[in-house]
Amino acid sequence: MLALIYFIILGVIAVGAALCVLLSRHPLYGALSLILSMVSLAGIYGLVGSPFLGVVQVMVYAGAIMMLVTFVIMVLNGARDKRTPMFDGVSLFVIPAVIVLAGLVGFALVRAPLAFDSATLPGSVKLTSETLFDMAATGPGYFLLFEIIGVLLLSAMVAAIFLAKKHLGSVVAENREETH
Amino acid sequence: MDIVESRTWVEWLITIAKFGFCFVPVLYILLLIPMERRGAGFMQDRQGPNRSYIKIPFFGKIRAFGYVQNMCDGTKLFFKEMFAPKGANKFLYYVAPAIPFAIVFLSPCVIPWFGPMVFEWGGKSVRIAGSIVDSDVGVLLLFGLSSLSAYGAVLAGWASKSKYSFLGALRTSSMTISYEVCLGLSMMGILLLAGSFNLTDIVTWQEHHAWGIVVQPVAFFCFLIASIAETGRAPFDVAEGEPELVAGYHTEYGAMQFGLFYMGEYSHICINSFLVATLFLGGYSVPFVTTETMQAHMGGSLAILCWVLAFLALAFLHMIYRYSRKLAASVQSNKMEILQEYKLYKTIGWVAAVVLIALGACAWMFYNPANFVVNGFAVGSLASAVGTALIHLLVLVVKSVFFCWVWIWVRWTLPRFRYDHVMHLGWKIILNIALLNLVVTAVVAKLMGGN
Repeated sequence: MLALIYFIILGVIAVGAALCVLLSRHPLYGALSLILSMVSLAGIYGLVGSPFLGVVQVMVYAGAIMMLVTFVIMVLNGARDKRTPMFDGVSLFVIPAVIVLAGLVGFALVRAPLAFDSATLPGSVKLTSETLFDMAATGPGYFLLFEIIGVLLLSAMVAAIFLAKKHLGSVVAENREETH
Repeated sequence: MDIVESRTWVEWLITIAKFGFCFVPVLYILLLIPMERRGAGFMQDRQGPNRSYIKIPFFGKIRAFGYVQNMCDGTKLFFKEMFAPKGANKFLYYVAPAIPFAIVFLSPCVIPWFGPMVFEWGGKSVRIAGSIVDSDVGVLLLFGLSSLSAYGAVLAGWASKSKYSFLGALRTSSMTISYEVCLGLSMMGILLLAGSFNLTDIVTWQEHHAWGIVVQPVAFFCFLIASIAETGRAPFDVAEGEPELVAGYHTEYGAMQFGLFYMGEYSHICINSFLVATLFLGGYSVPFVTTETMQAHMGGSLAILCWVLAFLALAFLHMIYRYSRKLAASVQSNKMEILQEYKLYKTIGWVAAVVLIALGACAWMFYNPANFVVNGFAVGSLASAVGTALIHLLVLVVKSVFFCWVWIWVRWTLPRFRYDHVMHLGWKIILNIALLNLVVTAVVAKLMGGN
């Protein structure tokens, strides 16, 4: 009961902070929200019985990697970017893709059993992998979520390359950067 | 409410009382600030700030060795106006000083303040851990928290919209990241030997084998240097070097916001000195005596503790008498006032010495509690468990105060490093020594047939 209350509090913070990452226009606020999200995720890891994973999450992600990210944001002065509109022609393709992906994730989430029981959750790596990649039709179906997250990461990588290329490739964009 | 009924009320009382240890770093600030200011004076052959006094009617003026001066300075900081420069990011500017200070309250939770209390209560033996959170990841939790506390400096530097602050913030973040690596690696040797991340286990291992400083001398020095660098104090205070960057990341801060950074820094020193004492100096364990022996001779142990304190009181008296003699021979204009104050200290010192010696004698003669052994553990009464915890706590405090003094000693002795020298020392020297030490420790431990 107590664990469930903690889980709900941490989960609300984690999801809220993750939404802030998407919605905040200032990159630094985005980074700070991401840190908050990671710290509350670490709390959830501790709650389900693997405090080691939680502490490593705080040390490596929230402590070191996000420190470097804030470092880069500060040095590159990314906060000045107010010209990029929220919606443009590309949105016609992006929005349906996002909706489809969200539908897939929703389907997998509805299909997966999400009972929270802190007593049975702690387990070894072997147990985790067996549960995660249980492909039987009667299984929990976590592999579906896993695959969808793979697609999400791939699309994020493609988007990052696309963004970087737009700046590096065209001479016009580079000149505009200079005069700014 | 199963969770409440699962333990007796004494266990709950002690478990909740342990949360009081969260305030230890904040209390240490009260000790460290006068120690730093008068210590600096001592190093530089001057008096240090000691002129403020409280006037007590019919007695005279109390200066308390310069302690009143610090109370005055603290009061000034509290009542100054909070001020943000134009163009600063208001939200982050006001939030930033709170981050390191909030983490100060969280970090003491994994340090074992005393050995596990084992005692007989209500017909069964009860075991209470010495740290607030007796976690298996112990020391890692501490490192995770201290890596978060660097965000305070980084955000402060960015939000105050000043080039000096910003440069200071960049230096702080780079230094914290570099030295955290050294800190973690130099600690790994002792973790390997003890075979646990849990600080209580590490201290128990040291108690039964040898102190960390004996088995890991190289790691001890690496750890000490890295932890001095991590607190950002001289000679590693490139982040706030006065000649280059006015005051680093807190250039634009004043009043209690600056005070929070200041207190955060001192609390960080406190936590790090507790960590050094716990990892390398046997933590709460008394030198040459195991906890079991101590519990078997509880009365004698308490007597020795009282007599050590009485010896300290006598040393204090000796200091006061020497000062009085010097002062009486001098031609200082306010010497009668100071001598009047010293009379008070002499009274307090004599009363304390006599009372402590008497207490020690009473403990020696009249307090001999019975102990019995259950499953290889000595189980005594609640009183003897509390007595053991008290001795452990005092021993740990003495060790950590010694390391706090090392911090001050180093600060006022060595000149400041240049920024590239700091990075060179961190990445090219200490990191490699720590790695080599880890490899050698692992090989030797394997050959000796340890963990």
